[in-house]
Amino acid sequence: MKPQLEMKKNQELTTDSEQFPRRDQREQQQQQCQRRVADDAADSSSFSSPLTCSSSSSSFASYSLSLSCWTMMILLLIFNAPLPASSSTAIGNWMNLGVQGYEVWRNPQLYMVGAQPLCTQIPGLSPGQAKLCQLYQDHMSSVGRGARAGIAECQWQFRYRRWNCSTVEDSTVFGPVLQIGSREAAFAHSIAAAGVVHSISRACREGQLSSCGCSRALRPKNLNQEWIWGGCGDNIEYGYKFTQGFVDVREREKNYKRGSREQGRSLMNLHNNEAGRRAVIKKARVTCKCHGVSGSCSLVTCWQQLASFREIGDFMKDKYDGATEVRVNKRGRLQVKNAQYNLPTANDLVYLDESPDYCLRNKTIGSFGTYGRPCNRTSAGMDGCNLMCCGRGYNTLKTTVKERCKCKFHWCCHVECKTCIKTVDVHTCK
Amino acid sequence: MAGAVVENLSNRKLIVLISFLLICLLVCFLLGGLVAPAPSNVQSVLATKCYDNSQNKSKFFYVRPNGGCDKIDDLHGPEAEERHITDKNVVFAFQLPIPRGGIELDYSRWMQNLIGILQIDVTFFKEWELMEPRVPVTIDARLGYRNKGDPEDEWKEYATSTESRTMDCSPPERDGYLYNCSLLPLFELGALHHDYYLLNLRFPVIYENNRGLGPVSDLWLVVINQNGGFTKVWLSLKTIFFPMVVGVMIWFWRRVQLLARQPTLLESMLLALGVALSTLNLPLEYLTLSFEMPFMLLLGDMKQGIFYSMLLSFWLVFAGEHLMDDNERKGLRGYWKQLSCVGVGCLSMFIFDMCERGIQLRNPFYSIWANEIGTQIALSFVIIAGIAAGVYFLFLSYIIYRVFRNISAKRQALPAMASARRHFYEGVIYRFKFLMLATLLCAAMTVVGFILGQVSEGKWKWDEDINLEYTSAFFTGVYGMWNVYILALLCLYSPSHKRWPSESAGQDETNEEIEFTPLPTEPSELSSLTAMIKKTATD
Repeated sequence: MKPQLEMKKNQELTTDSEQFPRRDQREQQQQQCQRRVADDAADSSSFSSPLTCSSSSSSFASYSLSLSCWTMMILLLIFNAPLPASSSTAIGNWMNLGVQGYEVWRNPQLYMVGAQPLCTQIPGLSPGQAKLCQLYQDHMSSVGRGARAGIAECQWQFRYRRWNCSTVEDSTVFGPVLQIGSREAAFAHSIAAAGVVHSISRACREGQLSSCGCSRALRPKNLNQEWIWGGCGDNIEYGYKFTQGFVDVREREKNYKRGSREQGRSLMNLHNNEAGRRAVIKKARVTCKCHGVSGSCSLVTCWQQLASFREIGDFMKDKYDGATEVRVNKRGRLQVKNAQYNLPTANDLVYLDESPDYCLRNKTIGSFGTYGRPCNRTSAGMDGCNLMCCGRGYNTLKTTVKERCKCKFHWCCHVECKTCIKTVDVHTCK
Repeated sequence: MAGAVVENLSNRKLIVLISFLLICLLVCFLLGGLVAPAPSNVQSVLATKCYDNSQNKSKFFYVRPNGGCDKIDDLHGPEAEERHITDKNVVFAFQLPIPRGGIELDYSRWMQNLIGILQIDVTFFKEWELMEPRVPVTIDARLGYRNKGDPEDEWKEYATSTESRTMDCSPPERDGYLYNCSLLPLFELGALHHDYYLLNLRFPVIYENNRGLGPVSDLWLVVINQNGGFTKVWLSLKTIFFPMVVGVMIWFWRRVQLLARQPTLLESMLLALGVALSTLNLPLEYLTLSFEMPFMLLLGDMKQGIFYSMLLSFWLVFAGEHLMDDNERKGLRGYWKQLSCVGVGCLSMFIFDMCERGIQLRNPFYSIWANEIGTQIALSFVIIAGIAAGVYFLFLSYIIYRVFRNISAKRQALPAMASARRHFYEGVIYRFKFLMLATLLCAAMTVVGFILGQVSEGKWKWDEDINLEYTSAFFTGVYGMWNVYILALLCLYSPSHKRWPSESAGQDETNEEIEFTPLPTEPSELSSLTAMIKKTATD
């Protein structure tokens, strides 16, 4: 019998070469966060009664909704901005509100004032998240933005796959499909977490969020002194910490039976959230500038430059392809299912269940099926008609397509494109 | 005849003195490593894109509090098309510093200076037209300031300029990534006198200017300022070393004055070196706390330049005076060839510095590297300085080689001497070599420290468990090291009074020995080492 490889998170994180987000700090942060939530609970009567995610989502096991509820809610409430076209029935919605989209972006405060009830009313937020939402109201538009970017990136990355990250209009965002602890769920969680880190870091750097951290201490007493003495740390770290507090809190606020499926799922989500958050840090580029005597390199200062979110998405997609299957053991730890595989690091994705094939429409698992999806006749990959249509065959339709092509950006600020008309064979799955 | 202290000091005293100085050095290093923060701090600030429909160029667009800016979210999406945004409508606003921890932070005067670097994020779309690899960019830049207590929307103009820069970009491999573009140095403020700064940038299209810009998604301003804590530690080091060096210098010069003879060249050089170090040590930065002194960067560079040119000249003269050949050198003129190297090098560095930082006094946005001719001029001065430095080091190593060759040649003659005297002379040679070694060690430590600093690439690669601020430690360590080095030289090379009472006896003895020598008649002008060598030569 082979020795069981346990995925001890502590162990993994310390062996990680980067060492950037140190475990102890993060735990401390987590505790602080939870303590704050608990403190607030003490003087808020509404907290003592267990709040459910929302009436619509309470029918699902809440662990599977960790991401979906809150992202969707924030999406609907804060942006009212267009979701990409795959959000099937929400089309009417966004066409109406899309016009106001920019207004909402520009003045998120308008939509957040008197937010006392707002955060608790948002379906999808766990009690802890609702508390954090209330505490950090100004962060919420960035959180929403980040989640939106994550979903959009997910849809871009999966545009040629059977499951194309399509969203539904209720607060579960992706429908019941994320109930399955599949690779896809792992990706969705991680990319959304990455989106929030990215967007919070950006907002901090723009000076939109006044409460962005300065040093390692959460709220140093004499911050001004500290700033004069040694300056402030980087904002990516703050984005990381905030996201960790906000996204992970829902996984940590329930006690599951050790070794149960629910607990396993919770651990899986935590792991994948972490992987997503780290991806932002990992893809950040270090740039340096010499500014010593006479501009010489005797003094070099370096800083971190955020990568474009597409780069982070590509990175996560690679992690999706190399995700490791795990299971929860009796001691309440995740362990690699097939002991031959390497222990996943904190940067890797893990999943519990095999993915469904997503071939047919199945409401209970949340699969939309691939009926009517376009496919590529010549490709041997996932976008090829054979795989995409699950062997059902495809229809071919000759159509002329008008496309924007050969675009040129003119400073400033319009894009000039030519219209290319071409006749193509469109293959759609039967 | 009077020798230098180093020749007469007992080994015990020498060790005590050296260990005291080494402890000073260690304290400097640890002060930098454990007390001081990193020398500089950096903030990346994302531009807020403001919509300007007034086209009133005197208006400042600010980010905080709300209301100073009508935000644009995206420059190449539907929003830009809908609002018919043109280059005249877009203002990129950076408000510095960015708030943290719920507090609107402000710059302290302890932070000394501010460097701004612009980074333009251009997204690469595969289907879109590729951006040229070299994009000329014209920037209308305005820098405003505000102080605590001023109304929040009242920004005063600090500087304004239209600048041209060239951005080098290479396309990435994949769609949706950012172009790899070079950073554009934007401004350098020699004085961080005010509390808040506001930078407004426009990219106007005039003729072909800025037309090459691709789909710009974001603008980042990276601002680097010296850390207040580092300034405090640095200034306290200066405040301690300044009186120390001045005191030792006075003591040294009084001893020289007490002698019956004129000061030797080496002694004058030592004094000059002390003076140069004292100007470097002079804690002028205290004045910046109450006055606006934008020339501090330039002054700092100049002070460093003067010190290093003095140090280089001193090494030359030091080695040359211990050459122990029979050629008589008359003062500094004997070293004109070598010294002119130092002169040329320092002068070209000075001109280069004046071209960059001198002009920046008038226009903080100026950069000599921005245009072709400027770059060539700057490069040629830097190259001249480099060549001069190379030639200098060739000269220096040649002289040092000759010194060591002479010493070993003269050593052959040592066994012929009486044993007491031989021990004495061996000691002198040993101490001379020891000091040469100290110099080399100092230089090597500086170089090694510098290289280590480069390899470690700032703080990113260090484990967080190590709380040693390496860069700060390097700076304070090197600074302390040269101070300690010069203090040691001043102490050890001041004329010794130990043998004064027995001077006549010694003189007699020497006369006895060197009866037949054709030596100069003024032995007091030579250090005893030279005298010894000449003596052994005649032996």
